[in-house]
Amino acid sequence: MSLKATIVILGILWSFQATLGIRFVIDREECFSHKADYEGDTLHVSFVVIKSDSQWHFNEDGVDLVIHGPTGEQIHDFREQISAKHDFVVQKKGVYRFCFTNKSPYHETIDFDVQLGHFAYYDQHAKDEHFTPLMEQISKLEEALYNIQFEQHWLEAQTDRQAIVNENMSKRAVHKALFESFALIGASCLQIYLLRRLFERKLGMSRV
Amino acid sequence: MRLDLESGGSKCISDEIKLNSMTVGTYHIVNPNETIHLPPSHKLSVTVTSPKGHSHHHAENVESGKFVFTADETGDYMTCFVAPGYRPPAKFAVDFEWKSGVEAKDWANIAKRGHINMLEVEVRKLLDVTDTIHDEMFQLREREREMYELNRSTNSRMAALSLLSLVVTLSVASLQLWHLKSFLERKKLL
Repeated sequence: MSLKATIVILGILWSFQATLGIRFVIDREECFSHKADYEGDTLHVSFVVIKSDSQWHFNEDGVDLVIHGPTGEQIHDFREQISAKHDFVVQKKGVYRFCFTNKSPYHETIDFDVQLGHFAYYDQHAKDEHFTPLMEQISKLEEALYNIQFEQHWLEAQTDRQAIVNENMSKRAVHKALFESFALIGASCLQIYLLRRLFERKLGMSRV
Repeated sequence: MRLDLESGGSKCISDEIKLNSMTVGTYHIVNPNETIHLPPSHKLSVTVTSPKGHSHHHAENVESGKFVFTADETGDYMTCFVAPGYRPPAKFAVDFEWKSGVEAKDWANIAKRGHINMLEVEVRKLLDVTDTIHDEMFQLREREREMYELNRSTNSRMAALSLLSLVVTLSVASLQLWHLKSFLERKKLL
């Protein structure tokens, strides 16, 4: 019994709680699924709209995200958010679906992160004598660190978005000033041309 | 994580990987029925490209696969799954695991090779994760400094360009005045 318990514990602990931080380009709709193997786990999910495909249009409307459980029921719904974070406890084990919908006419780049927190499962094994209080504390620490990583990923994605906004703003400032100068010079040339024509015509008529 | 693909469709996913960190990716088409083989329409073409465009992995018409490489530059690496067109169009799901850096380390092997016990492995893992978090925080600070520089330069640029606009307006107006004056003097109207 003890050997089996040790192997089970090793199996749980050595499976790294991976967060999958990915970026993808969405056209109209894009769906992802993630398998939750244990009930009682906490599922953390976050997304940030990084940028729009076009240079001049900036997406303020955001995208929609709908989370569906294994039997199709709706777990949570985000409407028109640029950046959001949510966590919930897994009630039923199975495949959870995350579906994004893009309402704007441009392609959007979205940064998406999902993390499963396993710690709740450890409570069952705390009764086992091999699972010392020390291991339990270490597992809690591990879970806390993974949560920090998850939050940091979200922060990083939001910073990326801000950086892109700033760069666009800088470019726009330069373009605006140059365009303004050229428009001004063009308008005054037009003015001169029209005034000369007016006076020449007037002169022509009065001389005759 | 699982992606849904249709025959003739493609999905691309990118992830930022740091220089010299190892990255491991495994993918396989989900078989809803364990006993029978996948039909010929369920096939994938996979490419993994570096930020500069080099291909690190390429597979055509496979049902599953794995890629391992060490990143030679920091940036966004893109994995693209393409389902070849087939009549009638088939829909299937692909299970994809992509880990890089600390997560890609094979802890079971490290423990066996080093003959160290479970506790030490866990604490080492924690140390690695903390290092990664610290590195990421440095990156964030660096990025914030860059943004501050950009904002400062945008600010000074806007001031300079507004001044330029004003100078252009005044000079154009005075040029106009001088030109019209000489023109009208020439035509004996002034």
